[in-house]
Amino acid sequence: MNVLDEVKKAICKIQPGIDESKIVPEARFKEDLEIDSLSKVEMALALEEALDLTLQDAELNDIKAVKQVIELIEARLNVRNAT
Amino acid sequence: MSVMPHRVAVTGYGAVTPLGLNVEDSWHSLLEGKCGIDYITLFDASEFDVKIAAEVRGFDPAAHIDPVTARYSDRFSQFALAAAFQAVAMSGLKITDENKFDIGVVIGSGIGGIGALSAQYRVLYEKGPKRISPFLIPMLISDGASGQISIKLGIMGPNFSMASSCATGADALGMAFNLIRHGEITAMIAGGSDASITPIGIAGFTQAGALSKNPDPVKACRPFDKNRDGFITGEGAAVLVLENMDSALKRGAHILAEISSYGSTSDAYHITKPLESGEGAARAIQAALKSAGNPEIDYINAHGTSTYFNDLSETRAIKNVFGEKASRIPVSSTKSMHGHMLGATGAFEALICCKVVQEGIIPPTINLQDPDPECDLDYVPNTARKVAVQHAMTNSFGFGGHNSSLIISRYEGK
Repeated sequence: MNVLDEVKKAICKIQPGIDESKIVPEARFKEDLEIDSLSKVEMALALEEALDLTLQDAELNDIKAVKQVIELIEARLNVRNAT
Repeated sequence: MSVMPHRVAVTGYGAVTPLGLNVEDSWHSLLEGKCGIDYITLFDASEFDVKIAAEVRGFDPAAHIDPVTARYSDRFSQFALAAAFQAVAMSGLKITDENKFDIGVVIGSGIGGIGALSAQYRVLYEKGPKRISPFLIPMLISDGASGQISIKLGIMGPNFSMASSCATGADALGMAFNLIRHGEITAMIAGGSDASITPIGIAGFTQAGALSKNPDPVKACRPFDKNRDGFITGEGAAVLVLENMDSALKRGAHILAEISSYGSTSDAYHITKPLESGEGAARAIQAALKSAGNPEIDYINAHGTSTYFNDLSETRAIKNVFGEKASRIPVSSTKSMHGHMLGATGAFEALICCKVVQEGIIPPTINLQDPDPECDLDYVPNTARKVAVQHAMTNSFGFGGHNSSLIISRYEGK
């Protein structure tokens, strides 16, 4: 699975009309993608639903860019695959 | 020190209704006596006693609102945004850094975002509290529409919602009218919106005994008819731009009509039933008349819900206030066509009065075939009527015992 593609899908779902090419690992949620704190929770819900995992509020608070959410999800998936 | 009250102009209006997605389409449907009531399509109502409603048909939020705002707005806020954009565009009012603090917004809603709440209840029970959308509360709150409009238009004066059930739209206009009249503010974007044709909404109104059980959509809403048996839930939004008359004239606005007065009272009697004597309604009508200097009323847009109690008590109120003149005043219930748009209805009916004074045509009460002997006024049965109207009154009454009357007048120049 390509995690970036999953994040793209989630962001396109929660921000309809967004220019998909803007969703790159370096993109910052607030400054580059207009994703505020509420939308970030909505994005996390979309990812939880799609990937059947749970993200903690505290983890989300620290996330500022697409790259970080990719890392977080990859770490979670690695734990799952290892057990 | 007393200050001369300011005159209040209507300079724009917009509407999304069961009769059309804008004012002109809705107005033409009204004049044709077209009924906007049909079988419910917004959900599967096959198990419900009531299977009909006055739905807004063909509303595509994307045609009116940017996609992100549309996604995070309940249907009632989407209607309000669409109507507000129409109204402001029509008024020609430009919101600038100079005037943005002198303009306010009040969009009432009787029910608020019940569609969003219903959808999230399902998530709560099926998936648990951690899956609830962070947008639930902003979509649910009844001031969501008002807040979104201020954000989208950059309006920074007073901004609030209000609720008085089925009188909400009239009271929102009344509040806006008073703020301008007393010099608190220069302009208000004011109206009402509701979208409660949801399983829980229809079930709730049905259990309260308020809705018609008549299975025939186009015959069910029959205000003042002997065979009326309840109201039909509608939905939609109506928004008016109200302005201080001097300020509107100064910027060269086209004045569509004038709001002359607002009267508001309570029954202090029962949470759903009006006083059968119509006494509370009569006091609201009298208050509006007195405040406007007792003008001759040429038309009344009735609350006329098609419930047994409303139509009887409203008729009594009109007769008690106007005496022997009552039988000469044309009274129509346009709800026979657009259904009961709840928090939007008072605003849409005031908008209809603006059209009536401008165009000199009164939309009819349709389905009035066999009048209730106790409802014996001139209800403009079944066919629109051409008649010059200088002053129109619109009545709105709501669960909770709210009674409100507005007087809308033809603008006759300075």
